[in-house]
Amino acid sequence: MEESRDGDWTLVARKPYFGLPTACPVCLPVYIYLKFARCPFNLEINSAYPDSDQIPYVEGGTYVAYNNEKGGVIQQLKQDGVVDLDSEFSSLPEWVSMKAMMSSWLADAITYELWLGSGENSAKQIYYSDLPWVIGKVLFVKQVYDVKQRFNISKQNAEKKEEERMAVIVSTIASANTMSKNKLFHPCRPTSLDADLVGHVLFTLKALPEDSVIRAALLEHGNLVRYAERHKNDFLTSGQSSASASNFQPPPSAAQASSKPKRKPKREKTEEEKSFQRKAKYFIGAQLVAVLLFLSLLGSSSKADLDEDDED
Amino acid sequence: MAKPDEFKPDSPSENPKTEVDDENGDDGYEEEEEEETEEHELDEEEDDEPEPQLRGRIPQSAVRMQQAKLQGLFQRLQTQTVPLRVHDVLIKGNTKTKDYLIESEAALFKNCTTMQQILEVSRAVNFRLQALEIFDSVKITLDSGPPELPGTSNVIVEVQEAKSPLSGEIGAYTKAEARSSTVEGTLKFKNIFGHGDLWDGSFAYGWDNLAELSAGVHFPRFRGASFPLDVRAFLLSQDWLQFSSFKERSMGLSVALLSSTNHDLVYNLGWRTLTDPSQLASRSVRMQLGHSLLSSLKYTFKVDRRNSPLRPVRGYAFAATSQIAGLAPDSRCSRFLRQEVDLRYAIPLGILNSALNLGISGGIVFPWGTGFKTLPSPLPDRFFLGGNSSPISSLGGPTTVWGYRTRGLDPTEPRRQLKSNGGDEDAADPGVDFLGGDLAVTAFADLSLDFPLRWFRDRGIHGHIFASAGSLERLTQNAYKDFSLQKFVSSFRTSVGAGIVVPIQPFRLELNYYYMLKKFEHDRGKPRFGVTFSM
Repeated sequence: MEESRDGDWTLVARKPYFGLPTACPVCLPVYIYLKFARCPFNLEINSAYPDSDQIPYVEGGTYVAYNNEKGGVIQQLKQDGVVDLDSEFSSLPEWVSMKAMMSSWLADAITYELWLGSGENSAKQIYYSDLPWVIGKVLFVKQVYDVKQRFNISKQNAEKKEEERMAVIVSTIASANTMSKNKLFHPCRPTSLDADLVGHVLFTLKALPEDSVIRAALLEHGNLVRYAERHKNDFLTSGQSSASASNFQPPPSAAQASSKPKRKPKREKTEEEKSFQRKAKYFIGAQLVAVLLFLSLLGSSSKADLDEDDED
Repeated sequence: MAKPDEFKPDSPSENPKTEVDDENGDDGYEEEEEEETEEHELDEEEDDEPEPQLRGRIPQSAVRMQQAKLQGLFQRLQTQTVPLRVHDVLIKGNTKTKDYLIESEAALFKNCTTMQQILEVSRAVNFRLQALEIFDSVKITLDSGPPELPGTSNVIVEVQEAKSPLSGEIGAYTKAEARSSTVEGTLKFKNIFGHGDLWDGSFAYGWDNLAELSAGVHFPRFRGASFPLDVRAFLLSQDWLQFSSFKERSMGLSVALLSSTNHDLVYNLGWRTLTDPSQLASRSVRMQLGHSLLSSLKYTFKVDRRNSPLRPVRGYAFAATSQIAGLAPDSRCSRFLRQEVDLRYAIPLGILNSALNLGISGGIVFPWGTGFKTLPSPLPDRFFLGGNSSPISSLGGPTTVWGYRTRGLDPTEPRRQLKSNGGDEDAADPGVDFLGGDLAVTAFADLSLDFPLRWFRDRGIHGHIFASAGSLERLTQNAYKDFSLQKFVSSFRTSVGAGIVVPIQPFRLELNYYYMLKKFEHDRGKPRFGVTFSM
């Protein structure tokens, strides 16, 4: 077992895609938040568990901050004293209300768009492209059903829900635009609100298709787009910062940490994936035919032997 | 029930088909094999000598004659070879069951050349037909062959198909997919399509928190094949939270492609999911949570020449299991190679029915494919040592070191540490996860002997003194670079003990005292009394 990882933090997130370090709309704000904190951390990819609500999570030694605990990873990191970028702003009412809108309304709208709207192909690429075809297909159908249950969507109220969603998107983005003009977002002292905003905007621009409703609404507010792009350039080109870790507490000592293989993000090629799916179907069909042929040949040879003996 | 061996020869005068002595220079001897009632009726029909037929009474002279004939026949069968061939096998009584099924089971008759062989084969065929579990009774009768073919006979196989196609069972089994022995209840539907097919639905519970729901079909000879075909759909759940902080759920298909006394070839296609509801798993376990597709072929070769698997006194046993997973063009399947080997040897010592049993088991698992050197082996397929089963009975790879609890050997990794509600202080120690090993070796020596008291001997209860050793090692993720034989040998844990063995067919119950000679910090084993239960 290697012990070279003492003192290292690791973010376990979904796979990178669309030019983003992690293409999952839940994982990206956490990634950006850690980048804002300017402390080195490793990014590990988990492609085998797309339906887990534990991911993303941050781990260091025996410490783990899961996404489904204590209000999310960022909230847990703040509560546990690991990293807190919001200490100066968390008492501001505008900041709190904007944070709530970002983490609930806008996040839900993106989730809806991703699973029930125009982002279906994006969802398959992000979550299921590294899983065998059958498993990915079943999990996708299950996830779509779960999202419908979560938003209480049925055939009868689908249109009404869509109208409500549109209204929410427009008002949230407009509010964000207003807040950005009022200097609520601090490029020099970013908070988790900035991380949410940048994460959601980048995901919308990069991962959702051009006919996406959210994307169209967002492009009407250029300052938000520019703000997000600037941050993207910052953390994508700077790499892991080695600046002082005043905002980041070191992880607890990891006794006997095991060796940790880094799952390198795979470069997916659409054509290769399609050919794999084709080959899988041919393989299953060929196996069935081979088994049937084998059994029928055996049966006919045994029958031939019996017939010969009868003639004797 | 069938009585295939019951027959009574007629006297030459009574049966015109029977050839007597060497009148024609033919040493052939034909006899007729019938039930007593049919024999009695035939006697009445062919009896040329008029005798007073008293109701319910056979004349004493006829009885004496029959007895004399029988004795003569038995003597002849014991001392002489009676040449007789089977001309034809006639099947009666099957309204639903396909002829080919019964004919294939009765195919052994065609190689018979003597009466003795025919009788022996009759027993075997009767047993095999009964074993199909689709007949209420099986009756095999020998009749004389066509007159133009002397020295031949016809075999009449009369079956009575099961009246009720439905049956239920509760028992203890070891199945292809189960990793340990299980207790299960089964509901069976028999012979629905006439191919001897057995459809069953079953629920099984194993000793190591295994629960399995499955449904399957068994074809004894599908379209004349010489081996059975088993197809099984299963839903399996295994709880390892206590030991390794994960739960395993699998669903899929298992096809037994080849099944005979010594060989087993099984194909498994399954969707496997590892979860951690406790959210306490260590880092190595967290990395393995999620979904995977398992497409594997597993071949087992087994030979057991011991006099008894429950209390072997002499003989040897050998088993080797090879598994290759990842048999699909999709590289996203779980890919690994797994090999297990078992060897057992029993040496009789001649005093008090004592015997020295020696055994060694080894196993290795390693991933294959692109980047295999840095990939971990799948957690459920690694080797874990420890448990409450005896290594003497089981031939399932390295699993047990006497005295150590289930999955009780290193390597381990600390679990997630939670902060208490109070503040900065950590909560209670959550313990460690047992991660298993890619390489495992176990060995044991067991001296068994009878107790002096007859009461124990009559019940098979005996004592034993034993010693065992075992070790696990990681090889994957470049750990093989640090592997050395010396280090591996020095990592062996050892234990000794003594106890009483109570054989309760088909189980072996041991009441033992264990003492650990060598153990590591996190190994779960200590000097104690314990019970071992295996089959």
